Amino acid sequence: MTIVGLGPHGEQASPPERVTLLPQDIAEARRRDFRVALIMHTMDSDWAKQLVQGVIGTLGESGVTVIETVNCAFSPKTQISELHRIISAAPDAVISLPVENTAVAEAHRKVTEAGIRLFLLDNAPTELLLGKDYVSLISADNFGLGRIAAEILSAHLPETGTVGLIGYDADFFATNERELAFARWMQINRPVLNVETRRFAKFSDVSTLTADLLSQHEDLCGLFVAWDTPCIQALDVLKGAGINLPVATVDLGAEVAASLATGGPVVGVAAQRPFQQGEAAARAAITELLGRKCPDWLALPGLAVTSKNVVQSYQAIWRMPAPNE
Amino acid sequence: MAISAESSIRIRSKGRPKNSETAAASLAEILNLLRNEVAQTRQELERASQYGRAVVADRLATLSDLSLIDDTETGTATGGRAPRLVRFNKDRARLIVVALQQSAIGIGLADISGRLLTEHHESADLNASAADTVARIVTLARWLLSRQSEVRDLWGISVSAPGPVVTDPSQPFLAATPDFLPGWENSNLVEGLCRAFRTPVWLNSSLKTMTMGEHHGGVEQGHDTMLFVRIGTRIGAGLVSGGKPYHGSAGAVGLIGQLPAHHEGESGTLNYMAGAEMFRRQGLAAAESGQSQQLADILRRTGEITENDVCQAAQMGDPAATEIVTRSGRLVGGVVATLANMLNPDLIVLAGTVAQSTDILLAAVREAVYGASHPLVTRDLTIVTSRMSGSAGLLGAASVAVEALFAPDTLKEWIYSGTPVKHPKLVEILGEIDRRAKPQSPGDTPPPIEN
Repeated sequence: MTIVGLGPHGEQASPPERVTLLPQDIAEARRRDFRVALIMHTMDSDWAKQLVQGVIGTLGESGVTVIETVNCAFSPKTQISELHRIISAAPDAVISLPVENTAVAEAHRKVTEAGIRLFLLDNAPTELLLGKDYVSLISADNFGLGRIAAEILSAHLPETGTVGLIGYDADFFATNERELAFARWMQINRPVLNVETRRFAKFSDVSTLTADLLSQHEDLCGLFVAWDTPCIQALDVLKGAGINLPVATVDLGAEVAASLATGGPVVGVAAQRPFQQGEAAARAAITELLGRKCPDWLALPGLAVTSKNVVQSYQAIWRMPAPNE
Repeated sequence: MAISAESSIRIRSKGRPKNSETAAASLAEILNLLRNEVAQTRQELERASQYGRAVVADRLATLSDLSLIDDTETGTATGGRAPRLVRFNKDRARLIVVALQQSAIGIGLADISGRLLTEHHESADLNASAADTVARIVTLARWLLSRQSEVRDLWGISVSAPGPVVTDPSQPFLAATPDFLPGWENSNLVEGLCRAFRTPVWLNSSLKTMTMGEHHGGVEQGHDTMLFVRIGTRIGAGLVSGGKPYHGSAGAVGLIGQLPAHHEGESGTLNYMAGAEMFRRQGLAAAESGQSQQLADILRRTGEITENDVCQAAQMGDPAATEIVTRSGRLVGGVVATLANMLNPDLIVLAGTVAQSTDILLAAVREAVYGASHPLVTRDLTIVTSRMSGSAGLLGAASVAVEALFAPDTLKEWIYSGTPVKHPKLVEILGEIDRRAKPQSPGDTPPPIEN
């Protein structure tokens, strides 16, 4: 699959295969005894857990010690203080998922200023310069994910009506791209449909936003939610109201997979591959620590998941059998 | 729509001199001293401007009423009472910045110090419908404004465009879209943005904006004489001298891609011989002939070879791809060496996808420049690859807009109203654009918002 989006600074994507480790690279990494810290936005989602497994497993195979895995709970304040604390532990590299844009830019810049190699996941604050303030961004093709979700949902929508788009109210590269791509695809391919956007700052807002969309738009005919965790809340509202609308989201978490497999309301998922993304981030870090140039933006294409391929996709993404339901 | 009303500002009248022309000039001068951080306290302002204490106090009160400065912070005491710091309020308003490239649109939001706050880039084909592209810019600009956590006034839109842009430097704002790209003659880009947002619009060549973006935000800072070379489908250069962009007589600076180049019996322009098109052409030949197994694999899978494919193959050690990149680097380096010997820059920055994708090109350019230059030229010369990608054009567009907004002659005309949106020339331009639009297309309205 091709990458349709551009990087946070307009970069062209490089495939994750651009960073490979040969046996001699692994032997050299083991000899040098590198130390890496991992700073996550959350550890509560299936996506985050799987990505962390990919990072830690790949680093472990190369003898790299993960000195700490931090959960920032989506809080810029926590992330800033945790980054300051990690700097004092002087790891060789930090792999971080910035939870915001300008709010956390300076704290990330300080990591590089301390001589620590910085790798970003999913989000690159605008003010951080590639090559100067961070080494590389490793993310999914989020623009592609938004487009996949729109395409799948479109097949379940009537000729006219309103499509609800529930986005994330933070300046965050990944979710911005998904939102823009979804609306763009609908505008080009389904111009008669009206796309109504609402954004949540915290998960607890999703229920209200979904209820508002339902009450304010009697012609609401479908819903796209920026990722699976908030989507579950939207599904609860639909269920509570006894309304069966087609829903699309990003990330094949267990609950949306079950909904997809059992006939809805989730009709499609644009899935990331967090384990492979974690592996790519770890390989990128080792490549750079061994003194070789790492691509500016490593991007992984998304997978289109429908009821027809949900079981196989679940296995491929989560590396485990799909639940029986 | 995120543009707030600006009518609530009341101008302080007490102490204002009768000669409003003089007052506007001193207001503008004091604001620019603060904006450029030449002075940060009242005492420093008095020294730097040579105005008396009463005049400085009066102008600061006016600027404070206009929310253009913030004097709530105090500095460090050096004996006696700590001085009150006076700072330019960079969050007073926002600028939309747009970078048009042949195959992409970049858009961002900047504060009025020129700092880029957020950005988005997406693929686009500028050779397709200009009207669709203008509509997309309007949609993305509205989306960006809707994403602000606090609503700020919009003070301008600065567009970076491919190709030379010839404008009248004596005019503060554009009244119509100048010629800048074939197929965009009737695009009404400037008129459409003026009508949709009621703010000034600037259009500059991407070479100029990228050069300024690199100068203000690039990896290497503190160089006053910089040569910027962009290697893409077209190859061009920009020059910063004494910290300012060099304009030339008509704005057509740095079109070095038109120069003749030769390689192993083949001749053409530098664009043809060393630009992205050469990468695609030679890469395809290497794939089809089997000279490069890696490129042959890519061709089988995707049906095409891009310049990025060639650069990535070169970076991974493919000999045929390495030869293509090296050839480009040597040809570009030959021309850059001539420019370096003429201009004596202390920094040369290579930019564009091709330059940023591989260090091999940088090595070849360095070899050519160091081999063909006078020792005095290369003694303190640094040659680097840009790390800014599409951000350079956006940051440069912000910097150009800020300089235009606060140019003393322009600033004098709007400072008493507190907003450039009320600059008499802009009001006249907007009226004229509205008049021109009415009879031609009565039903014409700004393009719709997508979400």
